[in-house]
Amino acid sequence: MNAKAEVTDACDLRFGQVGIACVRVRRVDAAALCDELERRVRSAPQMFARAAVVLDLSHLSALPDDGAVDALLEAVRSAGMLPVGLAYGTSETEALAKRMGLPLIAKFRAAYEPAGTTAAAAPAHAEPPPQVRPEPILSAPPAGGTVGAQHHAGSVRSGQQVYARERDLIITGAVANGAEVIADGHIHIYGSLRGRAMAGAQGDAKARIFVSDFRAELVAIAGQYRVFEQIPGDLEGQSVQCWLEGDKLLIARL
Amino acid sequence: MTAEIIVVTSGKGGVGKTTTSASLATGLAMAGKKTAVIDFDVGLRNLDLIMGCERRVVYDFVNVVHGEATLKQSLIKDKRYDNLYVLAASQTRDKDALTQEGVEKVLDGLSEEGFEYVICDSPAGIEKGAHLAMYFADHAVVVVNPEVSSVRDSDRILGLLASKTRRAEKGEGPVTQHLLLTRYNPARVAIGEMLSVKDVEEILGIAVVGVIPESENVLTASNNGIPVIVDAASQAGQAYSDTVARILGEERPLRFVDVPKKGFLQRVFGG
Repeated sequence: MNAKAEVTDACDLRFGQVGIACVRVRRVDAAALCDELERRVRSAPQMFARAAVVLDLSHLSALPDDGAVDALLEAVRSAGMLPVGLAYGTSETEALAKRMGLPLIAKFRAAYEPAGTTAAAAPAHAEPPPQVRPEPILSAPPAGGTVGAQHHAGSVRSGQQVYARERDLIITGAVANGAEVIADGHIHIYGSLRGRAMAGAQGDAKARIFVSDFRAELVAIAGQYRVFEQIPGDLEGQSVQCWLEGDKLLIARL
Repeated sequence: MTAEIIVVTSGKGGVGKTTTSASLATGLAMAGKKTAVIDFDVGLRNLDLIMGCERRVVYDFVNVVHGEATLKQSLIKDKRYDNLYVLAASQTRDKDALTQEGVEKVLDGLSEEGFEYVICDSPAGIEKGAHLAMYFADHAVVVVNPEVSSVRDSDRILGLLASKTRRAEKGEGPVTQHLLLTRYNPARVAIGEMLSVKDVEEILGIAVVGVIPESENVLTASNNGIPVIVDAASQAGQAYSDTVARILGEERPLRFVDVPKKGFLQRVFGG
């Protein structure tokens, strides 16, 4: 709604969606940031090499000084990405961006302004930051330490999508008709699956899907999928698991 | 004091949102609560017809949003209950005439005027009008018919209520969700032509706050500009009264959900 288009005869000027990644800095450690980003670039070079990124400092307990920010920007560059600006945080971030001659990416304004204005909400360094979730549907923050499973409590409603990147997904609730749950690892659903479930989204053929009440529209593992126009009578409403044997997607009662 | 804001929404059109808004607002007024009901369906206004005040609309919601009229000038006092007011939609404008700031201003104004409940009658769909109707809500009454497309659309709306509202964005706790099943026909449920209360509750994962039976009285009342809840003799009217009581925190058993048993004479003579 805040994307206003200003149409002139000579050109179109609009705020739109462009593919800019956001690097959310959790601690001021340029070397660690460089290592982490290098790892990302190596894992998906087509996606991340020379990707435009904005630096989001709003999750730090205090804004680092200009020198530290310079070091962070340099770390991003040496990892192979191109920092193009700072994400909007507080008025201090704005001043910082001005001093560094960098643009502030205002698209993030709505999401961070309330969190940024209260200093009390700033987390301690060692602790993972509290789950600030302006959009509770898509929650896939990469884990800092152990790679556990992602847990979604409650139903996934029609039109919603939940993605667990590089890990398993556990849903305690129903997945409605028209909803999608996706994981790079396994998927466990303790409720009805009436929508779609896709495990092994990055190609892990060993991923499985476990469902306690099977009424799915579609299940897929590592790209092999099955759609259900009619759910087989012996599977409907049963606890089932789905797995791959070669290219064949198998489903059986548990 | 701030008014409790209740949005009546569904996603799908034609399921009974406006009928429900009119009856809930009237029911709350009958319970002694100062209530306003706002038609958010700019361009396709209907609420004024159902409330029977279509000939008294001078200024509308869009006029207030744009500052062309005051709230006081635009609120139409109901002819039956003097603590009930209607804010009509504009028929000549479209949904883009509404702004988030404008809607907020109107809702704040109603709180200042001492209104205890504000019912927002949402348009169908999930676009701007529907979004603005639900954005400021504290409670949501999701109207659903016992058929699959309505159930799926309601599911989508329930998802939006959990993410695209002020409460969700500011982390002020969830919007209280109430599921209202309308156009329920127990006889057709019994022969498997319609989803049952249990089916709908199971698919959507929340309990119903009321079940309104399918009834000719609803159409008659609407055509006469009388909210059906005023018709205390009709089953639909009684079911709406029960629903209002439940929203106000009372416990009442569900009525009109089973096939009525025929009396002896009806069995003999057919009925």
